[in-house]
Amino acid sequence: MTQKITKSQKARMQNPIIQFFKYLWLNIKIIRIVALGHGGTRKG
Amino acid sequence: MAKIVVLGAGISGHTAASYLRRKLSKKHEVLVVSPNSNYQWIPSNIWVGIGRMTRKDTVFPLTPLYKRKGIGFKQAKVVTFHPEGDAEESMPFVKVEYTSADKKGQQEKVTYDYLVNATGPKLAFDMTEGLVPGTNKAYSVCTYDHAEHAWEGLRALIDKLKTSGERAKILIGTGHAKATCQGAAFEYILNVEKELVRFGVRDRVDMTWISNEYALGDFGIDGMLLSYGKDVMKSSDMLEMVFRDRGIRWITGAGVTKVEDGKAHYENLDGEYKTEEFDFAMLIPAFSGHGFKAYDKAGGDITDKLFKGFMIVDADYTPRPYEEWTVQDWPETYQNPSYPNIFAPGIAFAPPHTISKPRKSKNGTDIFPAPPRTGMPSGITAKLVADNIIESVNNGKITLPHKGSMGNMGAACIASAGYGATQGMGISITTFPIVPDYKKYGETGGRDVHKTFGDIGLAGHWVKLTLHYAFIYKAKMRPFWWLIPE
Ligand SMILES: Cc1cc2nc3c(=O)[nH]c(=O)nc-3n(C[C@H](O)[C@H](O)[C@H](O)COP(=O)(O)OP(=O)(O)OC[C@H]3O[C@@H](n4cnc5c(N)ncnc54)[C@H](O)[C@@H]3O)c2cc1C
Repeated sequence: MTQKITKSQKARMQNPIIQFFKYLWLNIKIIRIVALGHGGTRKG
Repeated sequence: MAKIVVLGAGISGHTAASYLRRKLSKKHEVLVVSPNSNYQWIPSNIWVGIGRMTRKDTVFPLTPLYKRKGIGFKQAKVVTFHPEGDAEESMPFVKVEYTSADKKGQQEKVTYDYLVNATGPKLAFDMTEGLVPGTNKAYSVCTYDHAEHAWEGLRALIDKLKTSGERAKILIGTGHAKATCQGAAFEYILNVEKELVRFGVRDRVDMTWISNEYALGDFGIDGMLLSYGKDVMKSSDMLEMVFRDRGIRWITGAGVTKVEDGKAHYENLDGEYKTEEFDFAMLIPAFSGHGFKAYDKAGGDITDKLFKGFMIVDADYTPRPYEEWTVQDWPETYQNPSYPNIFAPGIAFAPPHTISKPRKSKNGTDIFPAPPRTGMPSGITAKLVADNIIESVNNGKITLPHKGSMGNMGAACIASAGYGATQGMGISITTFPIVPDYKKYGETGGRDVHKTFGDIGLAGHWVKLTLHYAFIYKAKMRPFWWLIPE
């Protein structure tokens, strides 16, 4: 059975204060995943 | 002095041209050939399609920028490739045809030392009968014109609902059995849903998602296992959760074959032929290569040395079953193996195969997504192609130290799920790597679950909006633009 988005989760998703910190966290997390390098996969 | 010609001024072409100009000495020439006089930030077309942005917010003219920065520009489209020159011209060249009003239709040979083919996809509406943006009540958001048109159609439907009290059906998704770009359609359906709520008509609209994906959340990258809060869940479960929450019904494994006035005919994986009715639809077309031709010095046809639909690069194109695919099949330098001074970043390169598992309907029809190459990999591959050309020009011989396979590259997809400073919503998904590496991350569906995560909330909308402004700032090459990552 699929999870549901509960009322309290929804409130958190739209809460500007919580979301402000989420915004900072998301930016850092995304930059770390995306900007921290890429490379080849083949040897030699 | 070297001359580098960049074909296309989309995310990859413009990125390549910008870095080439920034890092190469001015004695070398950088020339962009593109049929559209504007740069467009395509991801924000979603918001043009719901009337929250206009084309003015998403485009800017290229000529003044390129003039200021010392980048040559021809408003023209490439027609044929001549990588060995011809009887009269010893240099390699492309034949281009002007699209600007003053020279429309005139052809010219444009010679080069290095060529970057960043022409992206052809929006192949013609591959689905009756799928023509703005006709049969079906629209597209793939260009700013299409998106504006879609908003007119949606606005008319909303106005009708407000005054008539009738019910309506909206269908959004993919318009071909092998379409890609499910992410854009996903964003659009959630944005449309939010707007219907805002206009007070949501309760009178049945909304349906239709897609060629086997399961929700496949996105053409075989779905993913991702961290969501403290849980690890499948992308299909995450999307199902969102669609249920928004009251959106879904049809998956569907290849749309024909569109008629208010009707989409499709075949599903069970081999059934069905029809879905609508009052408004937005269906993403198939993306194909442009059908370019290439000729050798003597005028012989060498198209198959350069193209396989899209441009042939350093991928392993040996046909193999899905179970034997590896990340090593994916290209690293985007260099054409026959002509080493030609490169194809972004959507312009021919992928070795799809990423999602190929599936056939009971009637033998292929129904599965083509592999996406979203904005981030398009920018990254363009930058590494530019960096390799810069090294090669400076060393006087082809040198390729920069590599970037989609099997060793992360991507972020910040899917807008509703617009508004306090009422907006975004679904942020990152994935590492883009092409699943089932050997390295065998336990977790081919991806690193620490770097593959999902998050839903208002913050995602703010991130998406920040990206809109940041990437337009970067594209305009404003001070320190190069500090903003791809
Ligand atoms: C509605 C929508 C929303 C999207 N949202 C996102 C998102 O949120 N995040 C994300 O990462 N990606 C998103 N994408 C995908 C992203 O837009 C593409 O990955 C990206 O545009 C690919 O860049 P490209 O330069 O390879 O191709 P394009 O951007 O398509 O650029 C191709 C260029 O080539 C030019 N051209 C075409 N034919 C010729 C010719 N014959 N000669 C010369 N030039 C030619 C075109 O005019 C254009 O300038 C979205 C796509 C769509 C359609």
